[in-house]
Amino acid sequence: MGAYILRRLISAIPVLLGITVIVFAIMEMIPGDPATAILGSYATPENVEKLNRELGLDKPAVQRYFIWLGNMLTGDFGQSYALNRPVLDEVLERFGATLILAGVAFVLCSGLGVLAGVVSAARQYGPADRAITFVVLLGISIPSFFLGMMMILLFAVKLRWLPVSGMYAIYGGGDLQDLLRHLVMPASALAVVATGVIARLSRGAMLEVLRQDFIRTARAKGVPERRVIQGHALRAAMVGIIPVLGIQAGFVLSGAVYIEMVFQWPGVGRMLVDAILKRDILLVQGGVVFVAACYVLFNIVVDVAQSLLDPRIKT
Amino acid sequence: MQLFDWTRRGFIAVLGAAALSGLAPALQAQTPPGVLIVGQIAEPKALDPAAVTAVNDFRILMNVYDGLVRYKSGTLEVEPALATSWTISEDGTEYTFKLREGVTFHDGSALTADVVKFNFDRMLQDDHPYHDTGPFPLSFFFSSIDATEVVDPLTVKFTLSAPYAPFLSNLAYPTGLIVSQAAVEKFGADFGRNPSGTGPFKFAEWRSNEAVVVERNPDYWDGAPSLEAVVFRPITDANTRTAEMLAGGIDLMVEVPPVALSQFQGDAFSVVEQAGPHVWFLILNAKEGPFANKLVRQAANYAVNKGALVNDVLEGTAEVAAGPTPPAFAWAYNDALEPYPYDPEKARALLAEAGEEDLSLTFYVTEGGSGMLDPVAMGTAIQADLEAVGFDVKIETYEWNTFLGNVNPGLEGKADMAEMAWMTNDPDTLPFLALRTEAWPDKGGFNSGYYSNPEVDTLLEEARVATDQAERAALYKKMQVIVQEDAPWVFVANWKQNAVTSDKVEHFALEPSFFLLLKDVVKN
Amino acid sequence: MRLFAGLLARNRLALVGAVVLAAVAVLALLVPVLPVRAPNVTDTAARYLRPLSEGHLLGTDHLGRDLLSRLLWGTRLSLAVGFAAAVIAAVIGAALGIVAGYFGGRTDNLIMRGVDMLMAFPYILLALAIVAALGPGLLNALIAVAAVNVPFFARNIRGITVGIANREFVDAARLAGMGHWRIIWSEILPNVVPVIVIAMSTTIGWMILETAGLSFLGLGSQPPQADLGSMLGEARAALITAPHTSVVPGVMILIIVMSINLLGDGVRDALDPRLRSGALSRPMAATRVARDTVPEPQGDGILTLQALETQFHVGGRVYRAVNKVSLSVHPGECLGIIGESGSGKSVTALSVMGLVASPPGVITGGAARYRGDDLIGAPYETLRSLRGDRIAYIFQDPLATLHPLYRVGDQLAEAIRVHHPLGRAEAWARAVALLHSVRIPNPESRAKAYPHEMSGGMRQRVGIAMALANDPDVIIADEPTTALDVTVQAQILSLLDELRRARGLAIIFITHDFGVVAQLCDRVAVMYAGRIVEEGPTGVLLESPAHPYTRRLIDCVPELGAGRRRLAAIPGLPPAVDQLPPGCAFAPRCGRKQPACEAGEIGLEGSGARRVRCLYPEVEEP
Repeated sequence: MGAYILRRLISAIPVLLGITVIVFAIMEMIPGDPATAILGSYATPENVEKLNRELGLDKPAVQRYFIWLGNMLTGDFGQSYALNRPVLDEVLERFGATLILAGVAFVLCSGLGVLAGVVSAARQYGPADRAITFVVLLGISIPSFFLGMMMILLFAVKLRWLPVSGMYAIYGGGDLQDLLRHLVMPASALAVVATGVIARLSRGAMLEVLRQDFIRTARAKGVPERRVIQGHALRAAMVGIIPVLGIQAGFVLSGAVYIEMVFQWPGVGRMLVDAILKRDILLVQGGVVFVAACYVLFNIVVDVAQSLLDPRIKT
Repeated sequence: MQLFDWTRRGFIAVLGAAALSGLAPALQAQTPPGVLIVGQIAEPKALDPAAVTAVNDFRILMNVYDGLVRYKSGTLEVEPALATSWTISEDGTEYTFKLREGVTFHDGSALTADVVKFNFDRMLQDDHPYHDTGPFPLSFFFSSIDATEVVDPLTVKFTLSAPYAPFLSNLAYPTGLIVSQAAVEKFGADFGRNPSGTGPFKFAEWRSNEAVVVERNPDYWDGAPSLEAVVFRPITDANTRTAEMLAGGIDLMVEVPPVALSQFQGDAFSVVEQAGPHVWFLILNAKEGPFANKLVRQAANYAVNKGALVNDVLEGTAEVAAGPTPPAFAWAYNDALEPYPYDPEKARALLAEAGEEDLSLTFYVTEGGSGMLDPVAMGTAIQADLEAVGFDVKIETYEWNTFLGNVNPGLEGKADMAEMAWMTNDPDTLPFLALRTEAWPDKGGFNSGYYSNPEVDTLLEEARVATDQAERAALYKKMQVIVQEDAPWVFVANWKQNAVTSDKVEHFALEPSFFLLLKDVVKN
Repeated sequence: MRLFAGLLARNRLALVGAVVLAAVAVLALLVPVLPVRAPNVTDTAARYLRPLSEGHLLGTDHLGRDLLSRLLWGTRLSLAVGFAAAVIAAVIGAALGIVAGYFGGRTDNLIMRGVDMLMAFPYILLALAIVAALGPGLLNALIAVAAVNVPFFARNIRGITVGIANREFVDAARLAGMGHWRIIWSEILPNVVPVIVIAMSTTIGWMILETAGLSFLGLGSQPPQADLGSMLGEARAALITAPHTSVVPGVMILIIVMSINLLGDGVRDALDPRLRSGALSRPMAATRVARDTVPEPQGDGILTLQALETQFHVGGRVYRAVNKVSLSVHPGECLGIIGESGSGKSVTALSVMGLVASPPGVITGGAARYRGDDLIGAPYETLRSLRGDRIAYIFQDPLATLHPLYRVGDQLAEAIRVHHPLGRAEAWARAVALLHSVRIPNPESRAKAYPHEMSGGMRQRVGIAMALANDPDVIIADEPTTALDVTVQAQILSLLDELRRARGLAIIFITHDFGVVAQLCDRVAVMYAGRIVEEGPTGVLLESPAHPYTRRLIDCVPELGAGRRRLAAIPGLPPAVDQLPPGCAFAPRCGRKQPACEAGEIGLEGSGARRVRCLYPEVEEP
């Protein structure tokens, strides 16, 4: 197992290197540069050139790439132009916020999605199944920004149960309870789509498994039905569900962008969009590499989990 | 049945968690009186006035710093601030300022002529020891300064390389705000996060992506403010900002989206408006294509229903523009100028007279950007108006920086028309940078439509060096008449900046300069 | 194709989906000739009219344009974009996934690392790069949306392909000398198509929605033209004031996505060969019972079946798998049930404990009495407490019937613990002892193995050990030795025989092998088309079979005794049990057929233990 993990980690290196090249190339390719973005209406060629020189952007691209890569390997991600602070500080802070949001949403959507899928499969064609199928389809076809806004209007503006936006209250907050109150809406809005997808696939996987012979064996042994479903069937179905969870984690992470905007969550998705729009090159590059690294790592974790769950997979 | 129990237990657990986390204690932390929460449109870049460019950041800075001069409340005319008086030499190249006595920065250091010199040298001299605390993107506002001299501890003199009429106005702009030398020396490049000025509020705290907090400066030279503190919250999404305002999460909201204004009609809110030096226009490519013909350009001006744009699309948050200079520059604005009326018949007649065969146009539209209001909706409405008189308009939309990257180098070979908007602090800036022949893109200007009229060029050059305001005003007024007739742009709108306050907020007013001044505001 | 359409039509929800989608598509196609307002004519004074306003059925948008008209035109555009993007993404993604999954090794590594790269990339940045390279426009948005979704397909399809590429039929194709591309085309592709279809049906919705996100970057349809996504994007600013401008395109997206999903599910069900058989559903905890009358208790066997009837209800058809079967077994006795595949012998066995998959299985009549108590229709908990405790099963093919993810020791321990309050360690010790008792060498370490790590014979012993776990009174063994080779089979049979004698077990032994019957069983019942056609003591029945069917069966076995005997085919096929002829079901294949045979019901007649269901038996007085 140890050797397997090591092998996977090593194979992640070229992926990350590839990502550094692609993100650098894209930032080179898209029109507009940080100076134009900073200067806005005042971006005369003269002013742009002067500012770019001060930002160190006048060197050839290849040279800048290697400088950037070299610095990054020593842990220096550079300074954000638009925020005037070290890229790594900003990325870490923002990533923490996203992790909380996406993490809770991910737990919600995997939990609820699998639960809904299992109930739906166990009660196939029953009222619960039909209700869940309907809600799930509803969930995967609602734009998350729309859902988020409607939640805000209902729970925050009309009922005043929950705060509209942000991560902590401006006054008198800062504790866990405050964080949870701020999390309820964005995390659920973010979880909705993934819940739908996971529920659908879990239902399918469960139905598939429930038809298997070993389920009949379990029943013939006298295993209580609840345990047949939650133990025998779910365990086998998880083999098919876990890779889906891995893929959905990626979607949750990228879907976080819209939710972070609507709920003003100080996360990394919004940061990246802002940085891209402001042509904050180093922040974009650093952010993408960091997020990608975490994503790749997460996938390795998923694969390891899978192989732990299923002894038939050779590692 | 067991399965049912199990499902029910699951639901109860989920509901329980929800109740525990949010619903149970429904007491929203109320903001105390005396603390004003302002909904901003973005996180500030820095709190160093020399380093920032966005109106959004200026809103904070104007409350923390003072300049040598400032705009008189409700106007764009200059009055004393940190300088109590000044003299201008005959030839208009020497400005000598007397500084106010006994002013100290929030960090305790005193305001002296040395500090003022430090401020401008830091921005303008590449070899200055603190030049690396930059970059200073708007330093060209002061590029006409040849030297800054300390005459005595409270007197400072600027020598300009040539007469430059907008100089005083530029000093009132945020780029001219005076920062504490001691603080810059102490924090270096981190000064932008540890600011120190002389303004009515002291910097207290910056929680990244959450809030910038400033506190009352009890020793303010112009009288201490009544607010205890101001919290600036960045809320980028306009809908969310509106929802926060409706829910009471913020007390004051700027740049209210036009469509949301109807939500704030009740007694619980008041809407404040103020026209400012803003103009929204369409650059027309006068070099090639149909708009090379003046008649076609005029036809476009007649064809666009500007009244519908400002009253309907923008819900009355703007007024129809008559020419290149916004009415907010009252002294320089030509009152006699009437906007092009909406007259599709006339437009068709002009088109017929022009006899252009091919009226197909490419129209650059942006998704949004500084001062661009609601560019897609406006662009779409304009497209429909132009189609109605016989143009064939193809829209291409771009995100703001890509858009600038396409428009600023000139429209030649790419497009016939592009949206644009400017907010300036002096009537000189926009026409000088965007209407002169010398300002064509290849010469480093913003005249992306290649308009050229020697008479206009002369008028603008003269106005820039004239030191007498009446003389300048006459020149600008003349210029406006010619430009309107030549129609290098379609003149569309002058934005009225707006803000909404809750009923707890009193004495709030907006300034024509687009700045947000909170010294006199009271919150109950 | 007609079959496909027929299957699709049978699924009512899918049909609804298809109809709705078709209606939307037709509307979208017909927009140019429909009497709606022009979609791009602005009237800013009449902006944000609510739905049902005069002249504007769905109201107007922020520029006063008619929403109904824009909705229809937008739908047209969105459908085109959504489908095109989904197809492009699916084709490219599936191609990558199949190639990676099929060839494996370095190819796989290379492709999947590329896919990882793409997946780990924020899509907004990719989209921006595409605008930069290609300029704004709907076609480029389509490319961006498709590109973003390629990895999703590639990953999904690769997973499926890896599973298929190692299956027997692919190996067979390879051995047959088929080229890689032909194998992919003819063996792999048909098996991944259902997955592609369902993945596509879920992504089309996202793709339409994603264009809303892209419009934010200036990528997407260029105004005044709008697809549904751009309509949503434009309406966003007025979300609070005029939500109907968002709701209108939102609901249309919902309708499209829902109908596509319903249809997609239907298509998947119709394409999936296993589902085609009608077994669309998951089996319930116990077989459904729907019988009118309960027969009076009768006989003294430990387990007695009385006129048991089990049917499969599929669609409108009724398959009579078990038709009035009566049997009885006594302690220490071994009863054999023999018959061809599909004769209903397994279903009979499974019906006893309500293990017939239901739906579609239903027990429609009769009784199954254990020590006089009827098990049919007994409460679930009663049934469960007897399952595996008093009446235990041994199944065929232990690789499929043992749980692949649990250690065999745990599976054994569980069988004990669900009936007896035993500690984990104690149960484990019992499990090891059980393994020992079925002569598995080195049981301590074997208990820790997973089923896939054991040989077929070992696994079957585990299955037997599991049946013995609670010292049951009855064991129902459903072809437990069919998959095994001869020596192992002989060992297992002698093991069972020994256990029965030692513990006084009653065994019902289901097989299609007379050799096995002769070796183990005291009595035999022969089943054909869901009915018992003959029964009697093993020796007598083998010596002088009375029913022509039994005769034919035995004739197929050249020599009785030890060794491996299989039933050879009898000319013709057993009748489909949903269309049983009146009278003798074997008549169409029978050499001794008389007109009376097909006239009507024939009883199971005889004296004592020996009975036959035949008007013209082979032996006069059986």
